[in-house]
Amino acid sequence: MEVTREIYWNIGRGVALPMYGIFALAAFVFLYGFYRRFAVYRQGKALNRFDSLGTRISFLLKNVFAQMRVLRQPGPGFSHAFFFWSFGILFIGTLLVMAQVDFTQPVLGLAFLKGTFYKMFSLALDVAGFISLLALGVLLVRRFILKPEGLETVGDDYVIHALLFAILVTGFIAEGVRMAATELRTDPALALFSPVGMLIGKLFITMTSENLSSVHKMLWWAHFLMAMSFIAIIPFTKLRHIFITSANYLFVDLAPKGSLATINLEDEGITQFGAAKIADLTWKDIFDADACTSCKRCQDRCPAYATGKPLSPMKIVKQIGDTAFLNPGADLPEAIGADALWACTTCRACQETCPAAVEHVNKIIEMRRNLTLMEGLFPGDEARTAANNIEVNGNPFGFAFAERGKWAVGLDVKIMQQDSDVDVLYFVGCYASFDKRNRDIARSFVKICNAANIRVGILGKEEKCCGEPVRKMGNEYLYQTMAVANIEVIKGYGVKKIVTTCPHCFNTLGRDYRDLGLELTVEHTSTFVAGLISANRLRLKPEPFEFTYHDSCYLGRYRDIISEPRAVLKAAGGQIMEMEQSGYGSFCCGAGGGRILAEEKTGTRINMARVKMAAATHAPLLVSNCPFCLTMIEDGIKTSDLEGKLKALDLTEIVAARIGG
Amino acid sequence: MKILVCIKQVPDMASRFKVNGNGVWYDEVDLAFRMNEYDEFAVEQAVQVKEQSGSEPDITVLSIGPDRVIEPIKKALAMGCDRGVHLRDEASYKKDPWQIAFTIAGFCRDKKFDLIFTGMQSQDRGSAQVGVILAELLGIACVTTVVGFAIDNRAITAKRELEGGIKSVVKFSLPALITCQLGLNTPRYPTLPNIMKAKKKELLVFPVADFLQEKEMTGTGSAYTPARKGSGIILEGDVNEMAGRLLGILKDKTAVIK
Repeated sequence: MEVTREIYWNIGRGVALPMYGIFALAAFVFLYGFYRRFAVYRQGKALNRFDSLGTRISFLLKNVFAQMRVLRQPGPGFSHAFFFWSFGILFIGTLLVMAQVDFTQPVLGLAFLKGTFYKMFSLALDVAGFISLLALGVLLVRRFILKPEGLETVGDDYVIHALLFAILVTGFIAEGVRMAATELRTDPALALFSPVGMLIGKLFITMTSENLSSVHKMLWWAHFLMAMSFIAIIPFTKLRHIFITSANYLFVDLAPKGSLATINLEDEGITQFGAAKIADLTWKDIFDADACTSCKRCQDRCPAYATGKPLSPMKIVKQIGDTAFLNPGADLPEAIGADALWACTTCRACQETCPAAVEHVNKIIEMRRNLTLMEGLFPGDEARTAANNIEVNGNPFGFAFAERGKWAVGLDVKIMQQDSDVDVLYFVGCYASFDKRNRDIARSFVKICNAANIRVGILGKEEKCCGEPVRKMGNEYLYQTMAVANIEVIKGYGVKKIVTTCPHCFNTLGRDYRDLGLELTVEHTSTFVAGLISANRLRLKPEPFEFTYHDSCYLGRYRDIISEPRAVLKAAGGQIMEMEQSGYGSFCCGAGGGRILAEEKTGTRINMARVKMAAATHAPLLVSNCPFCLTMIEDGIKTSDLEGKLKALDLTEIVAARIGG
Repeated sequence: MKILVCIKQVPDMASRFKVNGNGVWYDEVDLAFRMNEYDEFAVEQAVQVKEQSGSEPDITVLSIGPDRVIEPIKKALAMGCDRGVHLRDEASYKKDPWQIAFTIAGFCRDKKFDLIFTGMQSQDRGSAQVGVILAELLGIACVTTVVGFAIDNRAITAKRELEGGIKSVVKFSLPALITCQLGLNTPRYPTLPNIMKAKKKELLVFPVADFLQEKEMTGTGSAYTPARKGSGIILEGDVNEMAGRLLGILKDKTAVIK
């Protein structure tokens, strides 16, 4: 006879009725728990996240079954993934038992849990149980003993850890007791395929059969009832993430990164702009709060949180959830705190790292929209002044708009108003136009174009701020005023291609302006110069230099432009010394999200934190390719007393200085 | 209560000014225009009075000039004024303060405004006379350079800024005209719903000739930029070296160090 074991040994087939009865009860509680939550999600506005189902499903499978995003943080990520996989095997094992006993055997007369398959089944489940316990142990030590900074432990965590631990332990002991009464006596060779059960069974081998039988019954029922409780409490505890976070992968935002809803300002039916209440957000914003597991990975990477600002992306998501469930009529920006909302640099580090695919940034911007558009508020008077300056002169400094093209006097660059026959339009941006230091970037860019025989033109006094900083601050009205004016001028010249030296202009013109009718190729200098070099239009005379590179958020995380600037700098002779936080994990300079217009009044300074990281590489040079970053970095170098030790340059300056060869 | 706010559109002061063709004013090419800063305080104060009095007061905002002055009128409406009045005049820059005040007084004659707010002065001409003359023509009280304002029923307590930063407190009752100085308040940023509402508010347009019969009392002979009388020196370089050079300059060119 083929090896197997008696299913429901000591329990009996008669258990089926109470067992399925209790399961039905657990399933009912489970479904009812989720059903109640759906009503809360539905408070949010409609949003279609059911398009492109193929892409969505593949994202879901990769992240649920392969745990891709979870695994990005090795320590706790590995523990979670191994727990998930092994617990999954235990779950499948239980299903197989059910399938045989209550379906294939009674209906088809087929028993598959026998012979070699049974041996593999038994071994797999034992090993999976062991790994589950091990992974749970690692997670338990981390959460309750090591207590990483910022990890918040709540009641749910105690319940979940205790329950999972007890389910696994009772399972193993029940198995051991059963084996002490059966296999260990009758077929010790088979017991080897249940190694953990065997070891435990040996502890009980001296017990009498009657005692083993009653202890086994007790353990079996305890194990079963706890497993059913586990199912029942899923919707009521953090365990809900098993389903909600999985579903959140399905509802992932497939729009280009950083896309913001462009408000139709002509629609007179709109009475509320931005989010003041839960009902002003979308259902997905509420769903996100349920998908969040408070793993704090976002908080750990938030530059505002790291420098003592009252902002934690994790807490904002939680506060939205709490408001939706407990106090749906409450004023959201008030519940969260305007200071926290203003502190965000929209650097997207939170969203990039989130294992649950939560969308933090647009929630913050929606609430900022309410503050600016509905209440006329700003993070400070200086930001209000900057907005007024943008309105009047098209730049945040308040310089006369007519002086915008002054930096180009004497350079080989066309003013479109006079001659619009150009290969590329250089959209200069406010900083490279007006800021004394950043004008070197503009001049360097023109030099590069001249060397590559690219006919380049600028709009001069017809160019206005792209509107990005005020848009991220929430001022959609002023943004659109700027955007519409720029688009009209650009379209009037029949431009074929736009190049920017500023990643903020780059994203705004290339992506945001599409909603307002500008559909042109827009490129950032990083890729533009990389293209010129590879097409052999631009020849560099490499000079060796050591440097570290700061990834601008709006190039790296937002546009995946990470290798191109590094390749250009390498071609210029550079030897890179990477900072720990680089590429997709780059640490913001502090200027994004309109923060360039506002003073940093709370906590320590983000730019000082960043230059410290650069200085730690011992590279003498910090290269960036964003005027906002350069401004923040140079300021950080001065205030951190690093002058003479660390110098900051823009990529265009490095390239322009090595033209020739 | 009926409130009038008089506003002027002026060039942004960061602009580079050039004298115009007829040599009596600035050329408007390449200038960005905005609401006179002091007039923003006036609008804000009027709106605050309205808010404090349970929205009962009715605020009219008035501006004289070419069509472009509709922009600041719209802004004032978005900030909370109820009605705009545009006294159209393509050559308002040629009018002297007497004519401007007389024009506004002509408009006010049958309107019986209880409270009039104007800026302390315009940022471009800077005569600081229009408000004062207007009050005189209407025969109402006038309090200038106001930096604090409180109204209780029809009794006003205003804080004025005098020479040398000295303040004085003045108590008076309506009807009255107030000219507003920096420090009075922080003008609000118009909200988007209010910007949209402003588009639908009443905007009355009259040719300036409807109210102006007076000849000017003063005229501009010529406008010119001041002659360059030497310029500042910016020292750059090493701190020690700069200190040495500064010491040398102070010794050679001033009597500060002997």
